[in-house]
Amino acid sequence: MNKRLWRRGLSAFWWLTLFFLYLPLAVVVLFSFNSANSSASLAGFSLRWYQRLLGNEQILSAFANSMVLAVVSSLVALGIGCLIGYGMYRHRHRKLGWLIVLIYLPIVLPDIVFGISEMAFFVQIHEATGWLRPGLGTMIIAHVTFQIPFVALIVYSRFVGLDPTLFEAAKDLYATPFKRVQHFMLPTIKPALISAFFLSFTLSIDDFVISFFTAGPESATLPIYIWGAIKKGVSPEINAIASLMIGAVALAALLSLIFNRRRPA
Amino acid sequence: MSNRMSAELAEHSDTSPTDQEVATRKASSIELHSLHKRFGADAVALDGVDLSIHAGEFFTLLGPSGCGKTTLLRILAGLEAPDQGTLMVGDKELTEVPPHRRSVNTVFQSYALFPHLSVRDNLAFGLKMRGLPAAERDARVDEIAAFIKLGDLVERRVDQLSGGQRQRIALARALVCEPDVLLLDEPLSALDAGLRSQLQVELQRLQKRLGMTFVFVTHDQDEAMVMSDRIAVLDSGNIQQVGAPSEVYERPANAFVARFMGHDNLFPILARDGLRVQSDLGWLELHKHAGQGDAGDCLLVRPETLEIGDVVPEGYNRLAGVVQERLYRGSRIEYVLEVNGQSLMVVASNLGQQVHQAGDAVTISVCPEDLVTVAA
Repeated sequence: MNKRLWRRGLSAFWWLTLFFLYLPLAVVVLFSFNSANSSASLAGFSLRWYQRLLGNEQILSAFANSMVLAVVSSLVALGIGCLIGYGMYRHRHRKLGWLIVLIYLPIVLPDIVFGISEMAFFVQIHEATGWLRPGLGTMIIAHVTFQIPFVALIVYSRFVGLDPTLFEAAKDLYATPFKRVQHFMLPTIKPALISAFFLSFTLSIDDFVISFFTAGPESATLPIYIWGAIKKGVSPEINAIASLMIGAVALAALLSLIFNRRRPA
Repeated sequence: MSNRMSAELAEHSDTSPTDQEVATRKASSIELHSLHKRFGADAVALDGVDLSIHAGEFFTLLGPSGCGKTTLLRILAGLEAPDQGTLMVGDKELTEVPPHRRSVNTVFQSYALFPHLSVRDNLAFGLKMRGLPAAERDARVDEIAAFIKLGDLVERRVDQLSGGQRQRIALARALVCEPDVLLLDEPLSALDAGLRSQLQVELQRLQKRLGMTFVFVTHDQDEAMVMSDRIAVLDSGNIQQVGAPSEVYERPANAFVARFMGHDNLFPILARDGLRVQSDLGWLELHKHAGQGDAGDCLLVRPETLEIGDVVPEGYNRLAGVVQERLYRGSRIEYVLEVNGQSLMVVASNLGQQVHQAGDAVTISVCPEDLVTVAA
């Protein structure tokens, strides 16, 4: 009897946690379909706020910036992170303690510290050389920097999960170093690479703090636009953008999860 | 096109190949000269190995773990480079040649089948890397699949295969490349006993049919004896003995080889007088071919050459002992006897003769020709 009560209590706790996590999101999504121009009362169902988004130049340009930033930075991070992940695997028997810590550090470093240091760094380079004017370019560099550790770790753990004799079998079966990459390594880690891409994409779309510090006047992304817009109050339009972002990020995270799980036996 | 394999298929369907046909096939000999390899400062894996492996031979590297047999195999494959020494396969020197440019293929202990590829693509991998066109790859894969009787396994996924099936696929993947030498790194060790002895026979027959040079690594002396034409016994980076299974078993070069081949009845020689030696068993008569072992060496008494019974034939050695233990094994009966305070193992074929009980006093006879001396 007591045990059952305890179990019910635990179950209630679980649902309460989910409730507090997802209720605010649900409210935003709900109000994005509200036909009334109010954040307090629901009237009827309407898609007018979504239609309004399509007519708003600023939002469309912020959306385009977000997409370009996310796709380009994810691809670059994928290339570099993949090489680092393989390097970590190849030299896993050497004592790499502090090097590994350096790879992990950006993951736990507060975004604001990261953002401010990137900004200061870019500004100094810009003043000294005229290169790296704040804008999409600097944002891409900043995003790549924080995406690399995630890619490297995903690729590394994929390699660690493989039977090491597979590398020798490929050599033994006449594969040259180049063909080993083409016909063995890349196909074998493909699910990990796709997963890493979607994770990087999600991280980039989500990011506000680092983008904010490294952006230029014309390179506002959706989170930066939203931040500017809510200073004037939460409009139903913001609810619509937020709902779209929730959908996009949820989709990318789901794809990342699916591809990370899909590993050939 | 693989004439060898086609010829094999034809032969397989009616009769087995004649010796002459086998002899005309391509097979490569291996010459190892003064191979040294150490890992780190003090781990010596190979300590100057010289070895000749004949073309078309089933050759086994036998020894306990850490004896250097795997290192030797990896040097043959090119996966490890020797610190010193040379390796010749046929008339080519391969010491410095990377693995992907050696006509040598390996069956790995873990099988190492590529998880991202189907069975068919696994089998075709080596041919593809060598640049064979797709049609020819398919034909060769079908051929090897028929040869090794893989049946419908070819169309399966790797994760749908059992251990025994993986082993056969790994073997087929190496054989389809028709290497000069096939290396096998304990390929049967992960299988259960029944399947294992079945595959031992299959593998040995396959090697004879192909006439290919096989180099097999194992720590199991029974497996080595069943399958090999010749065996090299290794210990701590040195070759202790090379010879046919019967030589290595019946006339081990030293006490290590004798113990590793499963001999328990090894007694230090205390003194020698012509053809008579003294050990803890007492004085025993030897044949003149028994070896020159003297005090400090060992006397080897093979358990299956001992006979229990009151009638001792003319010229045989006679020992008296007491049965300590009896192990009934069906086809044979093993006795542990006490003779002069020493344990002596006797193996008797179960022919329906009298079965002795623990505590029985018995007479044991052994022919002088069955005793050998072994260097310590």
